[in-house]
Amino acid sequence: MTSIEVQALTKEFGTRRAVDDVTFRVLPGRVTGFLGPNGAGKSTTMRLVLGLDRPTSGTATIGGRAYGTLDEPLRHVGALLDAQAAHGSRTGRDHLRTLAASNRIPVGRVDEVLEETGLASVARHRVRTYSLGMRQRLGIAAALLGDPQVVMLDEPSNGLDPEGIIWIRELLRRLAGQGRTVLVSSHLMNETASFADHLVVLGRGRLLADTPMREFIHARVQPAVRIRTTDPAALKDALARHGHDAVGHEDGHWTVHHARVEDIGRLASAAGVPLLELAAEEGTLEQAYLDLTSTETEFTAQPQEA
Amino acid sequence: MASTPAPHPFAPVLHSEWLKIRTLRSLLGALVALFAATTAFSALAGVSETSDPEFDPLFMSLSGVAPGQIAAICFGAMAVSSEFHGGGLRLSLAAVPRRGRWFAAKLCAIAVPTLAVGLVTAFTALVVARAGLGDAASGLSTGEQARGVVGCAIYLTLMALFAAGIAALLRSGVGALSLIIPFILVVSFVIGDATGAGVADFLPDRAGQAVLYETPDRTLGPWAGLGVTALWTAAALAAGAWSIRRRDA
Repeated sequence: MTSIEVQALTKEFGTRRAVDDVTFRVLPGRVTGFLGPNGAGKSTTMRLVLGLDRPTSGTATIGGRAYGTLDEPLRHVGALLDAQAAHGSRTGRDHLRTLAASNRIPVGRVDEVLEETGLASVARHRVRTYSLGMRQRLGIAAALLGDPQVVMLDEPSNGLDPEGIIWIRELLRRLAGQGRTVLVSSHLMNETASFADHLVVLGRGRLLADTPMREFIHARVQPAVRIRTTDPAALKDALARHGHDAVGHEDGHWTVHHARVEDIGRLASAAGVPLLELAAEEGTLEQAYLDLTSTETEFTAQPQEA
Repeated sequence: MASTPAPHPFAPVLHSEWLKIRTLRSLLGALVALFAATTAFSALAGVSETSDPEFDPLFMSLSGVAPGQIAAICFGAMAVSSEFHGGGLRLSLAAVPRRGRWFAAKLCAIAVPTLAVGLVTAFTALVVARAGLGDAASGLSTGEQARGVVGCAIYLTLMALFAAGIAALLRSGVGALSLIIPFILVVSFVIGDATGAGVADFLPDRAGQAVLYETPDRTLGPWAGLGVTALWTAAALAAGAWSIRRRDA
């Protein structure tokens, strides 16, 4: 199987360490979300994997080989780095044809990916007439051109409309379901939560986390129970007897932290507290991410870089 | 994945680079401009009155190259600079990670059409200008005319490649053009006037233009002059290749 292996990778631009001794693996058959604020080193890491930038030290390989040694690499690895990379004066189809030709990919495949990305109707229009969302789709079409085992997309949902965001989510799930290795960078938490199985988090060039997404959330966000009652006094009393503490909110609902809905439900029933609402509040990726980043003090309130 | 690293064959890369040129209207436009400007100015030179006793009928016939070469330079610079558009180079080098091979294919895709259009252009310019010059050009031998046409096409190709090398070095077509075009239009003339013959005859454009004269009144002969231009071009391409190969994309 083809995985991406990043080993002790470091890249310095002048005195700034864009990527600082980062080690992780991206495995096939699942979608790995690549998280971090702008300037955290996500794009630089992707460029290093593609052999476009030279690492200061360390290695990045795909299936054990440096990208530069791959024969006809588009057939192994598809990448979207920048939706603006297509020349505005070319048609979308011609743009893909030039890429396909260099890796001996048949022209029929160009039309296939144009169809798959919903660009068939504008294939013969110039790229400069495309919206940002259409350019993203063209970039994704280019990444899929060689039917690669490894797909790396940098901020693919940028500029996509809601329909496009659903499309990309399903595409990523499908690619992983086919056993491919999928690495998708994003700074949008809810978006990433909707497609990722695994997370790699960078902050200021360093690796902050490399864990399955559910574990990442559960380790950082305690579950809570949302509850509403007509008799708050009885509820508080019943909870206090079992060592729980309820926090009231202005709209009348209560939150019980560090508790599971099964326990609170039974407890309220036994105490005869009338309930209007009882729900589990799952931790979100956003909460978990903020918890992680708040522990990285130097990480907060840093100026963003391009 | 292949277990043995097979070399990336050159032909598909060349095919891709040729497609890139064919699919950009501005590049095709530059080649059309090369033909149109050169032949039009040569035709004008052919019908204009000349009282200069030292007038050189071969250079007069090919004098349209002076403005025409700007189009060749634009073609070479733009063919390279179209890659530096919004991270386009990254896409190209992700498809062809062997950068030397990629740059060589790019240069072939610049050189071959320039040479072909240059040959047609020089031949047409000569025919058109001779029609205007009449007897004044009757002394030209077939060998001189053939040398003028072939040399002119090679000169234009070298200038296009020179611009390609500078554009790759500067990673900017505008940068390359704003360096080369003022140089050709102004600096070369000024140095030529100030120093007379000598130093100026070794400048990239003036050296190669020796091939356009029936009897070059210069330090360098026709082929030696073209050789000096070729050295300039080789230096520009080496610098451009260094930039492509060594720098982060």
